[in-house]
Amino acid sequence: MNWNRHIARLGAPLLAALVAAPGWAQQPATAAPAQAAVNPVAPEAIQALKTMGAYLQTLQRFSVTTQVTGERVLADGQKLQHSAKATMDVARPNRLRARITTARAERELTYNGKVATLYTPAQKYYSSVELDDTVTGLVRRLHQRYGIEVPLADLFQWGTADAPLEGFESAMNAGQDFVGDDLCDHYAFRQGSLDWQVWIKAGSQPLPRRLVITSRADDARPQSVSVIEWNLKPAFKDAIFTLVPSPGAQRVELVPLKTR
Amino acid sequence: MTTLIRLLAVALTGVFLATLVPPAAEAAGDRRGGGGGGGAARAGGGGGAKAKPQANNTNRDARSNNVRSTSVSNVNNNVNVNKNVNVNVDADRRGCCGWDNDYHPVATAAAVTATVAVTSAVIGSIVNAPPPGCVPVSYGGIIYQQCGATWYAPQGPQFIIVTPPY
Repeated sequence: MNWNRHIARLGAPLLAALVAAPGWAQQPATAAPAQAAVNPVAPEAIQALKTMGAYLQTLQRFSVTTQVTGERVLADGQKLQHSAKATMDVARPNRLRARITTARAERELTYNGKVATLYTPAQKYYSSVELDDTVTGLVRRLHQRYGIEVPLADLFQWGTADAPLEGFESAMNAGQDFVGDDLCDHYAFRQGSLDWQVWIKAGSQPLPRRLVITSRADDARPQSVSVIEWNLKPAFKDAIFTLVPSPGAQRVELVPLKTR
Repeated sequence: MTTLIRLLAVALTGVFLATLVPPAAEAAGDRRGGGGGGGAARAGGGGGAKAKPQANNTNRDARSNNVRSTSVSNVNNNVNVNKNVNVNVDADRRGCCGWDNDYHPVATAAAVTATVAVTSAVIGSIVNAPPPGCVPVSYGGIIYQQCGATWYAPQGPQFIIVTPPY
């Protein structure tokens, strides 16, 4: 907690007020709540992210299933909704398998701590790249270098330096709500051109259960909604993190992200 | 003169988009008659085990491919991108738009026009197989087939012509 800094910042105007105002006894009482109401970044909302992130980092083996609903904005601003599904098996620090199903295609991403492989079973094509990192590093590198987005990338970033807790224009507690049968605390944030909300399971397992992201970069404000189901006692074996391409599968070179 | 050609191209695009039956899609249309359109030709290798229905997009209105922006499905990558001034925003938009989104926004009508003019391939058309001589390219999480200026993305066991990813 940085109460000291907080008090130091309050101190100067408070002192001025104390000196100037004859009715000094009432000043502190009115000044403090006013200050709290003005702060758009509620510390408890940031703390909730911190707690969730720390908890996520303690999970060594888990499986998640997510269903996302996203939006495309057409030329005239009309929106089309689409959905996709992913299941992910994770073993920290450095193993991951993601199976991604969209209307277009099925894809599979596997990472065993040494090699990351992207596979399209229907076409029997795969791409591999050697990579020595944690799952968080994998998510970062695939995104930055190859433009590959791992489903629910945030899950691997919360609780690390890749999800800084500064830079919020707004953060608030939005009360409680249910996601499935889980009672959740609902928080809302504003950062840059994104508004986002997260529902975190209340109690001793602060897991994110729903994530809603609204883009303010387009006036149609396209939004995605991800619902996350957790299995903290998964039965998978470590062999699943190494892809064995089916016979006749063809390897394709992975092209790094191009900038124009 | 140039303007005339461009106008003509735009008009042609209009015709293509309006008819919604691009030539390349006709082959796929035949299969559609079967109903459900299970993936015979390409996916045949897997054969028989579990007949999972494939999404059929051959009736898709061309306007639905003219995407100007999309939602994103993660916070930190996008927030960090915005904070990092050096990252090319355009590259981010074109590179990928979230794991759920294998559509590439059509930047402008001009891009569509150019593609049509050069190759006669209409974005959004479905084909059973890309023409011979195409090269598989793995980019932005999708393994495409590139045939000159025309790019095909997997569409179940078939392929759909998409805006070039780069």
